[in-house]
Amino acid sequence: MTLRTQFAKPLFCTLLIISQFCVAAQVSTDLDSLRTRQLEEVIVTATRNERTMGSLPMPVFLVPKAQIKTMGSLRLNDVLTEQTGLVVVPQVNGQGSGIQLQGFNPDYTLILIDGEPIIGRYTGSLELSRIAIGNIKQIEIVKGPSSSLYGSDALAGVINIITDRSQPGTNGNFSSRYGTNKTLDLSGDVSVTKDKLGIYLFGNRYSTDGYDLSPENFGKTVSPFTNQTFNSKITYKVGPKTDFSLAGRYFKEYQRFNFEVTSSNEQIKTSGTGEVKDWNINPVFTHRFSTKLKVIARFYTTHYQTETNLSLDNDGSPYYHDDFEQTFTRPELNGEYFINSKNIITLGAGHVGETVKTSRYGDENGRNQWTNYAFFQYEWLPMDKFTLVSGGRFDSNSSYGSQFSPKLSARYEVNKRITLKASTGVGFKSPDFRQLYFNFSNSAAGGYSVLGTEIVQPRLAELEAQGQIQSYLFDPTLIGELQAERSVAVNVGGKIEILPSLTMEVNGFYNSINNLIETQAVAITTAGQSIYTYRNVNRAYTSGLETNVSYPFARNFTLSAGYQLLYAKDKDVVQDVKDGNVYYRDPNTLVTKRLQPNEYYGLYNRSRHTGNIKLFYRHPVTKWEASARIIYRGKYGVGDIRGNIQGETIPPSDRNSNSILDVYDDFVKGYALVNLSVAKSLNCGLRFQVGVDNLFNYTEPIYIPNLPGRLMYGSVSYNFSKNNVKP
Amino acid sequence: MNSIKSLLSIGLLATMAVIFTACKDDSPAPDPVIATTTTDLAADPGTGIDPNNGQPTGITNKFTLFSFKTGEVVLNADSATTKWDVGFRRTTIIVNGGTSGSGAAGAIVKSGLFDEILEAPADGYAVDDKNSTTSKYAIPTGSGNGWYTYDGGAQVIKPTAGKVLIFKTADNRYAKVEILSYYQGAKTNPVNTDVAGYYTFRYVYQPNDSKSFN
Repeated sequence: MTLRTQFAKPLFCTLLIISQFCVAAQVSTDLDSLRTRQLEEVIVTATRNERTMGSLPMPVFLVPKAQIKTMGSLRLNDVLTEQTGLVVVPQVNGQGSGIQLQGFNPDYTLILIDGEPIIGRYTGSLELSRIAIGNIKQIEIVKGPSSSLYGSDALAGVINIITDRSQPGTNGNFSSRYGTNKTLDLSGDVSVTKDKLGIYLFGNRYSTDGYDLSPENFGKTVSPFTNQTFNSKITYKVGPKTDFSLAGRYFKEYQRFNFEVTSSNEQIKTSGTGEVKDWNINPVFTHRFSTKLKVIARFYTTHYQTETNLSLDNDGSPYYHDDFEQTFTRPELNGEYFINSKNIITLGAGHVGETVKTSRYGDENGRNQWTNYAFFQYEWLPMDKFTLVSGGRFDSNSSYGSQFSPKLSARYEVNKRITLKASTGVGFKSPDFRQLYFNFSNSAAGGYSVLGTEIVQPRLAELEAQGQIQSYLFDPTLIGELQAERSVAVNVGGKIEILPSLTMEVNGFYNSINNLIETQAVAITTAGQSIYTYRNVNRAYTSGLETNVSYPFARNFTLSAGYQLLYAKDKDVVQDVKDGNVYYRDPNTLVTKRLQPNEYYGLYNRSRHTGNIKLFYRHPVTKWEASARIIYRGKYGVGDIRGNIQGETIPPSDRNSNSILDVYDDFVKGYALVNLSVAKSLNCGLRFQVGVDNLFNYTEPIYIPNLPGRLMYGSVSYNFSKNNVKP
Repeated sequence: MNSIKSLLSIGLLATMAVIFTACKDDSPAPDPVIATTTTDLAADPGTGIDPNNGQPTGITNKFTLFSFKTGEVVLNADSATTKWDVGFRRTTIIVNGGTSGSGAAGAIVKSGLFDEILEAPADGYAVDDKNSTTSKYAIPTGSGNGWYTYDGGAQVIKPTAGKVLIFKTADNRYAKVEILSYYQGAKTNPVNTDVAGYYTFRYVYQPNDSKSFN
């Protein structure tokens, strides 16, 4: 009967009917679920082995499934955007979304699913909305360079998505959600475990009508698209000491879009299609030779493919075609050896083979690259209070040479209330394929060419022989082989218990980055079009402070607040400003003045202040859940963006043509998003949820096209569980 | 609810303290302006804009000639004399020297602050060199090369901050110039619909046989 009275309140009247059914199916409340689970969270990303959160000496964060469910998130970007220190930013072309961590651009954070990299960084950053999260067990975030374990791309940190595996018995979950923009999400998973065999299957279909932030322009800001995701994980106990698992993923997305292009001062309506496909397969053998030695062998293969076609509306003739295909294979062997409880060694070695084929390389030949690598890690735990983790990785690559990336982290428990952590390490990012092999001319957007460093010299010689070079802007003989971008970082922080259960985590970071790859204009053709290539030029740093406070202030309530202060600057600009060589025009008197060091704001697209305040409610008996989250992003500047959104030119921040972002420039205003959700679960396995994201309908069509307006949704899910494990 | 509120404020206190201390902003004291300022010198602005190609209409292709000594515009009829020092036509600036005129004028584009340049350099003055194959001006043309930068996003011409033009005049005197605006009314934040082709600049002219700008 209590269930009935609680049901009088909810919004759906249909619920009443369902609840009738549920009362019949009601079983006595499971008392075990009342007890708060005190099990310590286990994280695998930081050391490549399962370790409890509290024992790790580097800054790590974990987003558990329960929290993701309460938030009502669907795609990876929905979850990440609400985490302290992570900022979801549009990609270079203004579309899509990538993640900015510790002030690094999205291509400097490695994103893994169950420890294996996701590929398809078509324009540098990875499209996070490709990842459905219905099958995620938890998301692990390690901040600071992790190249010592993972190699290239792990400069800012690593985000590892741990997916569900089969549970004892037979379990399943089906959910459907419908919301604003005709967004429909259907998800289901089934898990069966029988004796030695475990099977987990997950499927998702997501479709949306997209949205239009500037209806006055032809075409939508985000055009309608549909995608499907399938995941499977089969586990088999080969023997008492040997496990086998086979994981697979298949993803397909299809989009139709319309937009207007400008060709010789004429506006032409076009329509097109975009298709993305990716799949991966990962067999893993785990063998325990003894209680001390565990060895894991795996062979990961993944493939990513995208194709865009555009044709003119008036006569249907093809206007533009673009394709990209990438294959990545990685066999790896690694072992964990417990010398004793105080000394643990991890060793590993592997080989990466990569092939990329794209119309942007000028031919249909694949470009290949390989890397051989080996890593080691030594965990020393001389006493409970102290942990020291040291390690390093050696990468030998076919195109950019070799890299050694060491890392050292330590943790010390001063007393029961204070734990200190410090880590330092090296991160690197190899030049990507486009920086090496691009042979791309864009006749659509004003006309320019981009030539990768491997082909720029022969191509320029060719153009010169044809008399097509008007003048050189940069001596082409000075363009050498691209080096990997490297960073050295320090993270220092700790955890303080201010009040019983009121904890505050603090982490200060400093990343010094060298050899940053920038586009370099090399020549102008006789037709007046610029030719660009790439060069290692810039030095930059990002530094800041991150704090997280979490307080379960009342039974079933948790309040948390997070804040990140960030300074990200170009070191050469800092020096130039210090030397007095940078000027600005006073916005009122128009007179030139010398820029003072404190007036240089820093790199574009970085907010000095970001933060969040979240309130979570979860009642284990009545099974009500609710959340209110406020996500804030402070003001930031916008650089010169190539391309435009829906025909709108994006005005860069620089008002005084000194090419840097200073306090006198225009900024994109800071903004806060408010997200709310309420959910109720019934004992029979049904769960209802309603929510609204971006409650106050904040939009910024030109600068933040990836931020839709207010999104309301309702969802129903059904969970069943049949425990058929023999006693 | 009160207890919730007070707890909320405790939780936020630590993080907010960091936010507020980090927001300090210093603004520099303004400099006194000591130079002569010429406003809205028309440099062949034309009569309008052709909506089809974005090009100005009704242009004369004639330079507006200017004398630092008088601070006045010189008639085009006097273009063969040494009465004028510099000429303006749209974004192009000529000097009365080399292929552009019969005078001794030349120019240097110098990086620095107008007020800090206290003396004209002894040499290094370029002259215009325009012939049938090349057009080389004492003040280089093109975005980022000479006095201006074209902002492709906002589609406006902006005088590059920190560029001072040092002129040797037609009769061997010296002047320093900072261009402030290229748009009518010298708006502080011009947009591409503002009327282009109007120079506002400040200058210091040394009337005596001296290189000093003090």
